[in-house]
Amino acid sequence: MKNREWAEAKDEEPVPDDPASAPAPVAEVRDLRVEVGGTVLVDGVNLTARPGRVTALVGTSGSGKTTTGLALLGTYPPGARVSGEVRIAADGPVGYVPQHPASVLNPARRVSALLTDIARLRLGRLPRARRRAAVAREVRRALAEAQLPDADTVLRRFPHQLSGGQQQRVVLAQALLLGARVVVADEPTTGQDALTKARVTERLAALAARGIAVVLLSHDLDVVRALADDLVVLREGRVVESGPAHRLWSAPRHPWTRALLADRAASDAPDPAPKTGPAALRVRGLTARHRDGGRGTAEVLRVPELDLRAGECLAVLGRSGSGKTTLGRCLAGLHRDHSGQILLDGVPLPRSLRDRDRSALAAVQYVFQDARAAFDEHRPVLGQVARTAVRLRGVPADTAAREALDTLTGLGLAETLAHRRPGQLSGGELQRAALARALLARPRVLVCDEITSGLDPVTRRGILGVLSTLLRERDDLALVLITHDLESLAPAHRIAVLDAGEVVEEGPAERVLRAPRHPFTSALLRTRDRLGAPSGS
Amino acid sequence: MRGRRGRFALGAALVAVPLALALLGPLLAGEPGPRSPSFTVGGGHPLGSDFVGRDVVRQVLLGGRPVVLTALAATALAYLVALPVGLAAALTHRRGLEELLMRPLDVLLAVPSLLLILLVATVFSPGAVGLAALVALVNVPDAARLVRAAGAEAAARPAVEALRMQGESWARIAFGYVGRSALRTLVADAGTRLTGVLYLVATAAFLGVGVAPDAADWAVMVDRNRTGLFVQPWAVVVPAVLIVALTTGTNLLFDAALDSGGARDRDRPGPRRRRLRRTGPPGGRTARKRATAGRETPA
Amino acid sequence: MSGVRRFVARRLLLGAAQTVAVVLLIFALTEALPGDAAVALAGDQPDPARIEAIRAALRLDRPAHERFADWALGLLHGDLGTSLTSGRPVARYLADGFGPTLVPAALTVALLVPAGFGLGILAARHEGRTADRLISSVTLAVYAVPEFALGVLLVTVLALRLGWLPPTAVGHGTDLLADPSVLVLPVLVLLSRPVCSLARLVRAGMIDALASPYVAQARRYGLSGARVRYAHALPAALAPAAQQLARTVDWLLSGVIVVEALFVIPGLGTVLLDAVAERDVPVVQGLAVVFGVLTVVLNLGADLVAHRLAPRAGVAA
Repeated sequence: MKNREWAEAKDEEPVPDDPASAPAPVAEVRDLRVEVGGTVLVDGVNLTARPGRVTALVGTSGSGKTTTGLALLGTYPPGARVSGEVRIAADGPVGYVPQHPASVLNPARRVSALLTDIARLRLGRLPRARRRAAVAREVRRALAEAQLPDADTVLRRFPHQLSGGQQQRVVLAQALLLGARVVVADEPTTGQDALTKARVTERLAALAARGIAVVLLSHDLDVVRALADDLVVLREGRVVESGPAHRLWSAPRHPWTRALLADRAASDAPDPAPKTGPAALRVRGLTARHRDGGRGTAEVLRVPELDLRAGECLAVLGRSGSGKTTLGRCLAGLHRDHSGQILLDGVPLPRSLRDRDRSALAAVQYVFQDARAAFDEHRPVLGQVARTAVRLRGVPADTAAREALDTLTGLGLAETLAHRRPGQLSGGELQRAALARALLARPRVLVCDEITSGLDPVTRRGILGVLSTLLRERDDLALVLITHDLESLAPAHRIAVLDAGEVVEEGPAERVLRAPRHPFTSALLRTRDRLGAPSGS
Repeated sequence: MRGRRGRFALGAALVAVPLALALLGPLLAGEPGPRSPSFTVGGGHPLGSDFVGRDVVRQVLLGGRPVVLTALAATALAYLVALPVGLAAALTHRRGLEELLMRPLDVLLAVPSLLLILLVATVFSPGAVGLAALVALVNVPDAARLVRAAGAEAAARPAVEALRMQGESWARIAFGYVGRSALRTLVADAGTRLTGVLYLVATAAFLGVGVAPDAADWAVMVDRNRTGLFVQPWAVVVPAVLIVALTTGTNLLFDAALDSGGARDRDRPGPRRRRLRRTGPPGGRTARKRATAGRETPA
Repeated sequence: MSGVRRFVARRLLLGAAQTVAVVLLIFALTEALPGDAAVALAGDQPDPARIEAIRAALRLDRPAHERFADWALGLLHGDLGTSLTSGRPVARYLADGFGPTLVPAALTVALLVPAGFGLGILAARHEGRTADRLISSVTLAVYAVPEFALGVLLVTVLALRLGWLPPTAVGHGTDLLADPSVLVLPVLVLLSRPVCSLARLVRAGMIDALASPYVAQARRYGLSGARVRYAHALPAALAPAAQQLARTVDWLLSGVIVVEALFVIPGLGTVLLDAVAERDVPVVQGLAVVFGVLTVVLNLGADLVAHRLAPRAGVAA
């Protein structure tokens, strides 16, 4: 309860646009309170799901979205004390699409078995002879409705042989077979690129169009904006504001809602002045390969030419599998299997970081996507951060520790947190620590690989702000920002768009976003426009 | 919780007697007395005499040490080889080196352990040291694979790349991070492996490999005194019970000790996950509403 | 599907390499005799005539690679050589010992699967309750006990004290089925370790699966308890269990050797032990090749089955 001064806005019953035609709710949560071992996860949460409407629960991670969503399914965390009321319409089972759809698909059974099991539940009364055919028909119909063509192939596969999108559609098909009246979708687009996001959004919209009530748990504002009819804003387990989506978007009453839903335009804009001067880092004729299943290699990246000037932020934009991470790893010496040259101030860098000397290591630093996995879980964060200065700049340990602490607090991490182990820090806090660890090398080039993906919007904006500040304060630092997310482009001066290992477009950020020249870039941007358009208006 | 503590206590109690006998027995055994006829009952021998007329009590006191020492030595020796091989295979980026280290072990894994031991016994007459080396050898492939797997899992984490990015030395990465991350798995495996090694050492001794025919060794006692089982069962039953207590106790003890952690060897069967019980019924009203809505009650 | 085919090809290749390596290893080990092999093999009676006979039988005057080529070629034709002590062909030894070994081993395998799965499922169904605690503790304890120790204790109690069963198979020759009661104790002892390990694996696999999100989803969607248990949780436990069955081959082999010694059954294990004691190299080599190849083949089969059940299980190839 840090912000007690923010008075709670009055709860508001989501009022349908036309009350007379409002269908009766198929699921309702009243005054839900869930407590585990003295910690209150949610308290006083109300939620109404109506047929054909999308109700979005938004909030940062830890705000109680998932707890509330799972309550609709009758699932609570172990050891939970629950009070309040969860009402589900009589004949309406609740479907569930988790963030990782593979987790609810039995890895040892084929898709056909997974779907048939559920179809049998509803067709159990038919005589045996007719049941088999009816079940097969139902399964195929559900697959078609879940937008999974080529049913024969899909049915034969095991879940792990399907793509993430296909897995998600199989889970949707299960919900359709079940005859679910309510479907709870938990962070269905987190970590997905813009095109995939657009498809997931279409899938959920189609679900709502069939008269199913969709409860969307998400911190992805694009999707919420595109889909939600009603919004429930959660913060630290409590509802701060709820109501029809268009009202909350246009006139949020609670300051927290305003902060959460704030437009990306509000974030720090970079210094628009184009950088001149000699390139700090030059890439010439780079071709990177991956091992292809044990035999032979496949080319995954071709960059004939790419320059990076000091003080500049270059965003590398692409979908997953486009080779953007490989590019960053080549620069940092983490991907050794490449040919061509990477020149720092005109001097070629060794391919592998095992061959780079201390100054070359320090010059190009890399920040990993998964900050938690990039720290040793056994040691306090401060010590790990300080080691950079000790190893790469020969600074004595105590001086390094002081410098590390200064850098950490400068990036907005409290001193008490710095002395803790990684397990006790949040994802956003760890990502700041990871930035500090890299900055202590005094790098010329900092490669940030998807460092904001998987963070909620408020945390993400905080990290992006830190990057913008860094660029302003350190003229000699060049930033490579690798991302799939159009929302994370704020600090970029220039954008390079990667598709299938090729740079399809490169230019000043403002120009690329406003007037893209390559069809792929246009496609990426169109999805944002489509997602960005407020629904229902 | 009760189950775990119970198993721990039971394991400790079971191990205590044979272990104490193995460690202290030889000190208490004293000088050999005069021989009696074979397989007598009584006559100054509380447990009778054995197949060559020696006092069974004295043989029992002496017979634990070779079993326990050989098993411990073999386990240690197996890890002495498996650790460097496995870690080197886990940390190298050269596929060739990894294959060179691991493939021969795969082949060795294909030969049944006892068969290998018997084959060697045909040719050589291994003593206690030879038996320990043999048992260690048959355990190396599996142990090295485990070390490699545990090490590779840790070595593949971004944390290792981050350490390289910071310019940390190989030793600090290998021992400070990779070794430390794999430690739990290795400790768990050492427990299982000791049980398996005890089994092999005792069985080999029972079959006469690596021991003199009249050695003071529990397993040899079981074998040699079997002929007198009808007249003098104590010479067989006492060492057999001690071996059962030793092996069972070791397994129970390690299982209970490692259960507390949660990080367990994946291959090892056992209760890995324990579902917590709810502290109370999930809010009476909620549960009832859901029940009346015609759906299954939350169990 | 090419992934599966590649896995099978790789695994078959490894199996072939293992077979060749086993044969090589067996030959190399028996070649590694210190000093004059013939003298060493003659053992306690270094009678010059016997030494000469051994030298002639093993053709020690010829270089090792020629002898290996001859031996390996003979193996391919099913010729395993002749015994040093009796002069009988090794194949005869195998034929004689095969029946008495096969009967208890086959019975054990036949009982192993239902017993192991039954106990495992029973324990998983009653997780945390008395039945589970009992099964878990007993399987954990018995799993570690060497067969010979368990065997003599069972003989002492069931055969000598209570007199329910015959203590050994002495007097039945190679026809064990004539009096099935002699088989009860050997099969019980052979079963002891594999059943425990299988039951524990099935239990752990099912409990893991029952706690998984996909089982939670299946329950939520209203599938019956039995269907969840047997159609969802059990398949997930099958792959590790299939692999364990392969590892059991190794144990079964040690078990067979020990049990035959313990109950005086004239099977392959007894033949092997006698040959080891007499340093009858060709017989040991022949038996080792048969056992080794059998192990490789059964392991191969189990790996392929496990791969089929859970293609993702990352079965080592």
